Amino acid sequence: MSLPLLSLLVFLPLVGAITLWLLPARATRYAVALTMLLTLAATCVALLAFEPAGERFQLVERTPWITSLNVQYLLGVDGLSVLFLPSTALLFLGSLVASWNRIEESPRLHFSLLLLLQSATLGIFSALDTVLFFFFWELTVVPLYFLLARWGATSASPQAAARYFLIMLAGGIPLLITFIILATSQSVLTFDLMALLANPLPRSTQSIVFLLCLLGFGVKVPLVPLHTWLPQFSLAAPGSLTALLVGLKLGAFGLIRFAIPLAPQAAQDLHWLLAGLGTLSLLYGAVGILGQSNLRIGLAYASICHVGLAILGLASFTAQGVHGAVSLLLSFSVATGGAFLLLEFLRQRTGSTDINALGGAAKTMPLLASGFLICGLAGVGMPGTSSFPGEFSLILATLQSHTGAGMAALFGLSIAAGAFLALYRKAFFGPVTRPEVAQAQDLRPREWVVLVTLVMMIVGIGVYPAPWFDIVRPASEAWAAGLGN
Amino acid sequence: MGNLTEILWPQQSSLPLLIWLQLLPLLGAAVVFAFKERSTAVRAGKVFALAELLLGIVVTSHIDPTLPALQLAERFDLLAYHVAVDGLSLVFILLAALLTFLMTLYGMSRGMISPGRLFAVLLLAEAGLVGMLVTVNLLWFCLYSALELWAVAYLLRRWASSRAEILALSRFIQYQSFGWALFAAGCLVLGWAYADARAGYWSFDLFDLIGAVPVGKFQTAAFYLMFYGLAIRTPLFPLHGWLPNMAQHGLIAVAPALMVGVKVGIYGMVRFILPLTPAAVEYWQPYIVGFAMTGIFFTAALAFQQTNLRRLLAFAVVSHTSLLVIGVFSLHESGIQGAILLAANFGLAATGMWFIVGFVFRRTGTTELHELSGLFERIPFLAIAFLSFGLAIVGMPGTPGFDAAHLVLEAAIDRFGALPTVAAALGNVAAAGFLLWAFQRAFLSPHKAGKELDVDRTLPMEYLVCGIALAAMLAIGFFTEPWLRLTETASQLAAARFSR
Repeated sequence: MSLPLLSLLVFLPLVGAITLWLLPARATRYAVALTMLLTLAATCVALLAFEPAGERFQLVERTPWITSLNVQYLLGVDGLSVLFLPSTALLFLGSLVASWNRIEESPRLHFSLLLLLQSATLGIFSALDTVLFFFFWELTVVPLYFLLARWGATSASPQAAARYFLIMLAGGIPLLITFIILATSQSVLTFDLMALLANPLPRSTQSIVFLLCLLGFGVKVPLVPLHTWLPQFSLAAPGSLTALLVGLKLGAFGLIRFAIPLAPQAAQDLHWLLAGLGTLSLLYGAVGILGQSNLRIGLAYASICHVGLAILGLASFTAQGVHGAVSLLLSFSVATGGAFLLLEFLRQRTGSTDINALGGAAKTMPLLASGFLICGLAGVGMPGTSSFPGEFSLILATLQSHTGAGMAALFGLSIAAGAFLALYRKAFFGPVTRPEVAQAQDLRPREWVVLVTLVMMIVGIGVYPAPWFDIVRPASEAWAAGLGN
Repeated sequence: MGNLTEILWPQQSSLPLLIWLQLLPLLGAAVVFAFKERSTAVRAGKVFALAELLLGIVVTSHIDPTLPALQLAERFDLLAYHVAVDGLSLVFILLAALLTFLMTLYGMSRGMISPGRLFAVLLLAEAGLVGMLVTVNLLWFCLYSALELWAVAYLLRRWASSRAEILALSRFIQYQSFGWALFAAGCLVLGWAYADARAGYWSFDLFDLIGAVPVGKFQTAAFYLMFYGLAIRTPLFPLHGWLPNMAQHGLIAVAPALMVGVKVGIYGMVRFILPLTPAAVEYWQPYIVGFAMTGIFFTAALAFQQTNLRRLLAFAVVSHTSLLVIGVFSLHESGIQGAILLAANFGLAATGMWFIVGFVFRRTGTTELHELSGLFERIPFLAIAFLSFGLAIVGMPGTPGFDAAHLVLEAAIDRFGALPTVAAALGNVAAAGFLLWAFQRAFLSPHKAGKELDVDRTLPMEYLVCGIALAAMLAIGFFTEPWLRLTETASQLAAARFSR
């Protein structure tokens, strides 16, 4: 490997964030856009350089970092993580477009934080050393706190930001303790994920490792009952920020990457816990949508519902299950992320996303309304959209491993679809009663570009998923084989 | 185990560096004092503070941290003068020199009255601190400690910022003189036990005492006296009563930074108490750790109830000091190493926060949280620096606190199991809670209607002070390796006598 491609794409946004301060203020947004486009290009190069049939971990970069603790700067991707890189880059670009004209107060600081968040997120997907992973993991919290506290949508934003920060910090503790237990359990102290995977833990310590990991990642997923921060966050944050948080399923990725492979036997012994939490989240999320009058909170509950399905599929511990989960998570980063971006466009026009303040929005904003419908349908797993293949293999895997839970999941998904359509109908159809809605303008060209990209991806992947599946499948099989099945 | 070794200075350098390390700030104090209030005094103060920092770096480059010995030792038997350093003391010496240098910059930008006199006293306090950190003789330690306490008391008296200063001063003197007396009494017990064993020959030298550790009740007595003496100084819950008052009514940044920025108490525990009273330490370990655990949460709860930013920071200090004590009394090499590095991290970060509080006070004339608002708009750099220091205190990755806290947790898992460790780590979340809460109230809350927000923008000197502290913190956070190497062997040595 001659070019450190992963380092390049992880640190490109950071370099961009620093460069912003050297450029004149009016060039800020264009510099950010350029940085994000370059990052997107770098992630696409990484995707092309990745060979699905090759070794499990590729593009590996290894440099000692803290030698006396044997902490390394170790990056690498496998088929489970490589697709998350371009989807992250794309989502950040969408978020930039959604907040293009909206940042009036210190835009430089805002965009530097956004780029810092992008660096940290890309780092999470490519770190293969547990300490480095934890470093990026915690690093995401700081910019999110600032972005929400300082540029929030409501006056309650600082409180929501502090709450998010503290809950995430508390969630970090079990993770850090897990990583220390893992490192000290080896014959030589190591935080190298590949080495840890090669030497599984003794059975006795696996349970505590798995439970601590489940707690730490469960907060971020979020799994019910650790989800309380999400509805509050999605109301307090502008949609451009929530899209990043909800679209990128870092918690579920952590479960796939760390919790289950590092404690395989404990995970399988405790399959009922994982499946139970997944089912609970799914049903709770579905029922939760029913009670909402605000589209943003409704969407937050929908995402709890869907990630519950992914967790339930993981609990089958089969290649099909993890394959479905990763596909579904990727599809969500486009569909749910896109839906939040569209809601941000809506909020910017009407000042609200509450159905009581909308009504008939489809009359004045047909493009926005149809875009939102497509994203929403992808969110509920409509055949022909990008979510369907993943959801289908998840349901299949679940029906085989946990039949009862699988039936409950089907039931929950129907509720979620119904509840979403009900919300949609009230917001976008019916008579126009509000002047804000009557005078609203439909999508502008740059918003239109975001919408078209999203729809093309949702439909394209939904109709012809094979190339993407080919990347994920070998890694899923290796993942399932690593569990000892 | 138990025998200390030392390497005399001629083997490692061409000059007796440690005597200069002690004399330079004293000399500086004398020179600055002689200049009175001329502007030369201020310049000389800065030069001496910077020179001391550079000398500290030179000393660090002359020792070999991988050798299991105290190094650059100097002896002069007539005065029982005996000094030596290792990696642990150097961390604190560098920190003390850096903080003093930053304080000279800070003192200028705050526009304090009679800066010449201030700098002279500051350099005296630095001499006391450095002396405590280099000496291995208990009597000299007590002597230097008295010098430093006197300097801080003088600072409090002369430059106090509110009328309640007398209360703060008297609390300070009551607590500190009592703590000092306890520690001195503990030293006397050890010296007496030595004299008893060696036919009336008295010594307070660490190298002598370690060979004649008293047994039974005497060791317990010596342990108790010295531990409580240092616990008051550190300060450790529930002996922290002097700090909130001093923080609220005393000199804003300088006095707290001198007293709690450099955690001499933690250093004294590792250097003197652990080797000199090992059996008592092992026996009382569970009680001390129990108290420290309680302390983390009790003081965190108190911090949540404060309405004054300065008092809040004082309780934050007490809360995180408890974590240091858990690290030291894990009696595990990682725990001790982590506690030392964490102490340095806390010192730097907490001092940075005091500085910013000082800058805010200069602008607003108050540190009451309900009177502060919307400062982010006017001084964004200071606001971000404040939050960054807060993040260092909660051990955010990328700050020195992360690796250090990680080492302490590693030791705690090994010695106390996973559950108490999780509890101790939750203390960090509590700390994050009240620091964020304070940050939001002071910096982010929308400023009150009808009250025009009129505060100065950030001054160049303020950029410099906070910039240096931030840069030092991030540099150490990302390149922890040299610091781990500096402290590793010394920590192993300190923990070796407790190997289980």
